[in-house]
Amino acid sequence: MDEPKEGFGNGHARSIVEVRNLTKRFGSKLVLDNVSLSIEKGKTTVIIGPSGCGKTILIKHFIVLVRPSEGQVYFEDSRIDHLSERELSKVRTRFGYLFQEGALFDSMTVAENIMFPILQNYRVKNWQEIEDIVKAKLAMVGLDGYQNHYPARLSGGQRKRVALARAIALNPEVILYDEPTTGLDPIRSDIINELILKLERELAVTSVVVTHDMKSAYKVGNRIIMLHNGKAIADGDADYIRSHPHPVVQQFINGQVGDDDLAVLRMKGSAGSAQFLPRDFEE
Amino acid sequence: MIEALGAKTIQDIVNAGHFGRFAWRSVLTSARGCAARRTYPLVWTQMNQIGVRSVPVIMITGAFVGMTLAVQAYDQLAGMGLEEHLGVLINISVVKELGPVLAAVMLAGRIGGALTAELGTMNVTEQIDAVRSMGTDPIRYLVAPRLLACLLLTPVLIIYADLMGVIGGALVSFLQFGINSRAYWDLSAYGVEFWDVGVGVVKGFFFGAAIAVISCYKGFTCQEGAHGVGQACTEAFVESFISILALDFALAVISKNIYEVFWPLKSLVG
Repeated sequence: MDEPKEGFGNGHARSIVEVRNLTKRFGSKLVLDNVSLSIEKGKTTVIIGPSGCGKTILIKHFIVLVRPSEGQVYFEDSRIDHLSERELSKVRTRFGYLFQEGALFDSMTVAENIMFPILQNYRVKNWQEIEDIVKAKLAMVGLDGYQNHYPARLSGGQRKRVALARAIALNPEVILYDEPTTGLDPIRSDIINELILKLERELAVTSVVVTHDMKSAYKVGNRIIMLHNGKAIADGDADYIRSHPHPVVQQFINGQVGDDDLAVLRMKGSAGSAQFLPRDFEE
Repeated sequence: MIEALGAKTIQDIVNAGHFGRFAWRSVLTSARGCAARRTYPLVWTQMNQIGVRSVPVIMITGAFVGMTLAVQAYDQLAGMGLEEHLGVLINISVVKELGPVLAAVMLAGRIGGALTAELGTMNVTEQIDAVRSMGTDPIRYLVAPRLLACLLLTPVLIIYADLMGVIGGALVSFLQFGINSRAYWDLSAYGVEFWDVGVGVVKGFFFGAAIAVISCYKGFTCQEGAHGVGQACTEAFVESFISILALDFALAVISKNIYEVFWPLKSLVG
């Protein structure tokens, strides 16, 4: 990995989350290969990389939803990867996690989804207070009034915003966004980007955004880390990434197909001949 | 081939270890959940899903078991002039073996499949990870209420199955075969003891726990996609079914030994 630009990187005094020599294997498949990085407190760090490069698995390690094969995970300088599920519960309440597909509980209404982390972690005496919190969180994402809707009745963008409202229900110190703009149209994507910036401003949270949407990465990120084949190959601010000499970084940020990929497409045999036609199934 | 066999054996042992750990955690967490008031509403909801909605199907199962036994056994007993003993045969078979086992198999199909499908879908859509990410133990929130509901309600449902089996058997015996009802009930009361009913009902606790733990485990570990969820449901039913039969055998042996310890002469006479 490149030496990080000044103000970023490993062992920095203001880091809130840190992974050291993190390796993750699923069977024989190596997903993360000796990754070491730290997340700076109060800033927005964006992790980019092609699909399947290990971005989601990396942020799942931050709250130990996945245990490392090798290496350590630290939160505020305390090692957390070896804690029991019960001990991790307290750590996890200090994080908010926006899942790629929202992961809303489809048997619950929007309000019940947002109440869930509050009811599970605190003894509620004043029900009105809970309803006020739900209202406030929904207002922050622009969906006040949707309390009694079920997730199945919401659009993709609305579901992500509700999931975001749930992620901030416990006023977390760190919010992890897993592909927050994937599957949304450009306008809805920009709404999510503005929300990320708004939460950073208003709640002073640390954000980690996993994305392959470069427009979003440049807009929200104070720092961008690129993963490729399970390794962090670039780490710096937007300007640094734009001018990074690594060809894989340039291909990715400019959305250019690589020679290897083109070679596959140019293999003998036309695309048309590889398609089945209706007549192939006729008697 | 030996390499593949070895790898499969090791994988099976690892999976058995994972299941054992999951089952142990589920039982411990459920035991703790009994003392936690916030678990009660979750258990209540599951009791409605698992118990109340299963009553009709369990009652139908029980009734047909009793009626079929009457039809099958009448000719043999009538041939020996023992048709008035039909009640003993039907009722002891229903309360001790067929009622509990067939009710549990029916529950494994109805509830086990639903639990695995529900938790499996939650798993593949990251809802279980979402529960964990919000500082909640999914075993406490998702498994313990289901395990407690199955544990408490399977014996109750078995009583319903027994009751309908007894009624079904009696109706066929009286209406179709014209057996004297007084003799039928007197001989039944003599031949079927409270112990027999108790053994059948106690089996329900074990069957219920097995169905819940296996179904939840399969849901928690199911592979991605519709195929993964479907396969997990099939595996949950097959493994629950085998577990019910194995537990039934083990409990039959244990209950027989206990009976012989406490009532040694009665077992000789009987």
